[in-house]
Parts: sequence; C-alpha cells; structure tokens
Amino acid sequence: MTEAASTTQPDGVATPWSITLEDVSVTYPNGTRALRGVSAHIEAGEMVSIVGLSGSGKSTLIRTINGLVPATSGRVVVGGHEVTGLRGRALRQLRGHIGMIFQSFNLADRTSVLNNVLVGRFAHTPSYRTLLGLTSAADKELALRCLDSVGMLEKVWARAGALSGGQKQRVAIARALCQQPSVMLADEPVASLDPPTAHAVMGDLARINAERDLTVLINIHMMDLARQYSRRMIGLRDGEIVYDGPAASATDADFEQIYDRPIQSRDRMGSAL
Amino acid sequence: MTTQTTELRMPPKPRNRWRTAAIVAALCTFTVLTCLPAIGGVELDFAGMVRNWANGADKMGELLRPDFSFLPRTITPMLETLAMAVAGAALAAAASIPLTLWAARPSNPNRVTRQVVRFIINVNRAVPDLVFAMVLVAMVGVGVLPGLITLFLFDVGVVVKLVSEAIEGADHHYIEAGQAAGGTQSQINKATLLPQSWTLYANQWLYSLELNVRISAILGIVGAGGIGRLLDERRGFYAYDDVSVIILEILVVVMIIELCSNLLRSRLR
Repeated sequence: MTEAASTTQPDGVATPWSITLEDVSVTYPNGTRALRGVSAHIEAGEMVSIVGLSGSGKSTLIRTINGLVPATSGRVVVGGHEVTGLRGRALRQLRGHIGMIFQSFNLADRTSVLNNVLVGRFAHTPSYRTLLGLTSAADKELALRCLDSVGMLEKVWARAGALSGGQKQRVAIARALCQQPSVMLADEPVASLDPPTAHAVMGDLARINAERDLTVLINIHMMDLARQYSRRMIGLRDGEIVYDGPAASATDADFEQIYDRPIQSRDRMGSAL
Repeated sequence: MTTQTTELRMPPKPRNRWRTAAIVAALCTFTVLTCLPAIGGVELDFAGMVRNWANGADKMGELLRPDFSFLPRTITPMLETLAMAVAGAALAAAASIPLTLWAARPSNPNRVTRQVVRFIINVNRAVPDLVFAMVLVAMVGVGVLPGLITLFLFDVGVVVKLVSEAIEGADHHYIEAGQAAGGTQSQINKATLLPQSWTLYANQWLYSLELNVRISAILGIVGAGGIGRLLDERRGFYAYDDVSVIILEILVVVMIIELCSNLLRSRLR
C-alpha cells in the first residue's frame, strides 16, 4: 500500500487517522446482536473512551475498526480506507497501521519480550523473512526504541511470562507502537491490573496520545478513569450509543444511564495512591 | 461468619445403587459370554494349561539361567536397534513440526486442509507397526531400513496426534494480537505459536524415543533388523539361555532410556 510510505514521517511517527462509523451493526452467527446501528466520528488525534458494562458491545465495536470482527451492515472507514469488505492482504496491510492492546495482554509467554514486540512488525515484514527468523536491523532498532519508550528496555531478553501484569501490558503497548500505528485501540487495558498499575498504563496511553498525536480509543468500564484520562466519552448500552460527549463533565446520572443501574463501588478504580 | 450451633442440614448424597449394580451385572454377563465357544466366544482350555504345565516350567527354568557369555554377540545388534530408534525419532520429530501445525485448529483455521492431514494421520495410526514392518521388509528388503521407516511412520502418527490435540487444548490469546498486527497465519505460527508449543513437542519427541527402543526390539522378528532378529534366531534354536540375556539387555536399555528421557522432560519448562 502506497499510503504506508506517505503516512510515515521521517522520524518514524505516523500521522493520525480519523475513524468513521456509519450505521454499523454486528450480529454474531449465534444470533446475538452485539451492535445496533452505531454511528460516530472520531477526529484524528482524539483520545476517546468507550464506556459500558460487559456485554454492551464495547469489544465488538473496537474490533470492527481493525476488522477482527466484520460489520454485518454499515460502513467503517479508518484513515480514508473502508474496512468493511477488505480481505486478505489488503486487510492485513490496513491492520498494520492500527495498533491494539488487550485486557489479557495477549503475549506469547514462552518467548522473549523482544520477539513479542517484533510481532508488531508482521504487516511490514514479508512472510518468508519471519519464517526464516530474519529480523532487519531497522526493525530491531525500532522494537528496542519502543520498549525504551515504555521503560521496559532492560527486560528485552526476559521471557514474557516472567513479567508482572503491568510490565506485560507495557510490552503489549510497545508491540503496538512498533507497528508505527496511526490509530491505537485498547480493549479494557487495565481491567486485569491493580489501581496504581492501572493509572500508570492509562498515563502511558495519554502520553502516547499527546506526544505522538495518535488517535486513541479505549474501552473502559471504570468511570473515574474515563473522566480523568479522556476528553470525549462514548457510552454504549445493549449495542447502542446512549452518550457521546465530554468525559470530564459527564455526571453520575449520565453513567447510571449508560450502566442502566445505580453506580456501584466497582465502577470506580480508585486513586493511584 | 455467625457462630450458630444449629445442626447442619446436608442435602442427601445422591445414590445410584441400582445403576451401579446393573453396570456390574452387564459387564459380568458380557465377560462370561465372550468365553463361551458355543456362541463364538474364545475357548479357555484350562485343562490344557494344567497338562502342559511342565513344558512352561522347563522353559522358565532355562530363562532363569542366562548365559552371559553370549552378551558380546548382542552388542552390535543392540547398537543397531538404538541407532534405528534414535534416527527414526529424529526424522519423525522434523516431519512432525509442519504436520502438527497443519493438523491443529489454532495454527490452521482452514478446515479442509486440516481434515486432510488428520485423515492421513488417522489412517497411518490405524495400521499396526508390525504390519508396516512386514510390508516394508517385503518392499525394501530385510535390514535396518524397513525398521527405520516403520518407526518414523509410527512416531509421526503419535507425535502429530498428541501434540496437535495439546495445542488445541491450550489458550492462544496471542494469536489475536498477531492478527491485529496484520500478521499472516504462518507468521503467527512461526514467531509465537511454535515457541509457545516447544515443550509440548519436546515431551512427545522424548516419549516417541522411549517407545522406539521398545518397539524396535520386536520389529526384528519380522526381519526389520536390530536385536529383535537375534532374539528370533536364538528362540528358533531353543537357546533360551541366550534369549534370557537378550530380554534382560532390552529391559536394562529401555530403563536407561526412560530414565534419561524423564530427566530431560523434568527440565522442560
């Protein structure tokens, strides 16, 4: 894809992409309607949190953006590329520009941190080079810089499985950064972490958004984290958008409407200290 | 917790006495029926066993007096057997890497190719190793080669089946991360799934080596080289003191290989 070259600036930081969802619905093969006619536009460089209970369709929504879950109907446009309908090589190339981190970190535990970060170079590496285990010097350099930017450089040779939860999520962030992405997706990135670590990881994501001017989308359940770290918030309930507005000024009533129940103590992460 | 002293009311333990009795009765009936020659069951000739007891006792007596002066003649065939076992296991290990990846769902989402590989492996596993050996002896001649090919085929079947099932039973969250990064299935397999599955492979490779030493000892009986041929030859001459030495030697070698293999396996992480 020629866009790859044009969106990557000389310093290795990609230009951010906007995201547009037009009347997107997803129905799973078992009949579950996970998304019902969702429309939203996210500007390039925005940091947006998507709030909702588990089962509200957050994970499905974020996965329609990189095509891990195909939209049943509607249009998903990322950085001018229509995701719906993309397959095979074209879809993989597009995914190469969209970084993603996960609740359970999704690292290969039995291999080194470096190998895990190099997964981020898949879309930019010919298959035969991966099969032969050939890593270009530039890719390795990039992987090390990404690890350094999340403060994990000293663990480069450690087995991923030997790290703590917070360290694993940082390696996962480095893996996503190594893609030199234009969009960063985060699916419940702090749900498996304790409060101090959760704040540190959210801080990392906010810093990435600010420093690299990257579009960041975060699925999150905790209302205090959403208010503190994102400017805009999208509320999902039963697969439909029920709130779309500023995050900091969202009232408890707004959250009760999103959750469809009174606020409980487990809806807040609590402070870092 | 409250500290009440009221009696605990446990729900009654479910009992299936009748079902258990019915299962036991069915098993007993089935066993008895299979021993009735009148309806096609096997014939158990207990009287014959008593009549020929002396025969067996003589042979046992000879087996209990191993002639260790025969030992030097067994060394070369035993080394041949070991070479066969190691080479067969090594070749099978190499072949099992791609075949296993094709046979497991996480590493091969394509249903058609997966089923084709599984079908071939299942056919391969359905053939008893001695049958393979007999056919191969007829095809490529008496010697080590048919034994080697037999062990290779046997090991590939064992390793591919067990490792692909173990891979399917494990969690592979990292695959989603590889897909999200735009990786092809082969990139994901090479860079993450294989490192993640090495211990599963290594376990079965060592196990197949253990099996090989045991199997290759018998393969010689149908002409596929090694210690088995010598065993068959000495048995043909009724030289039970020599047979005894060979059996003891096989026992010792198998135990040593198992010991080494267990040591290695306990070091796998």
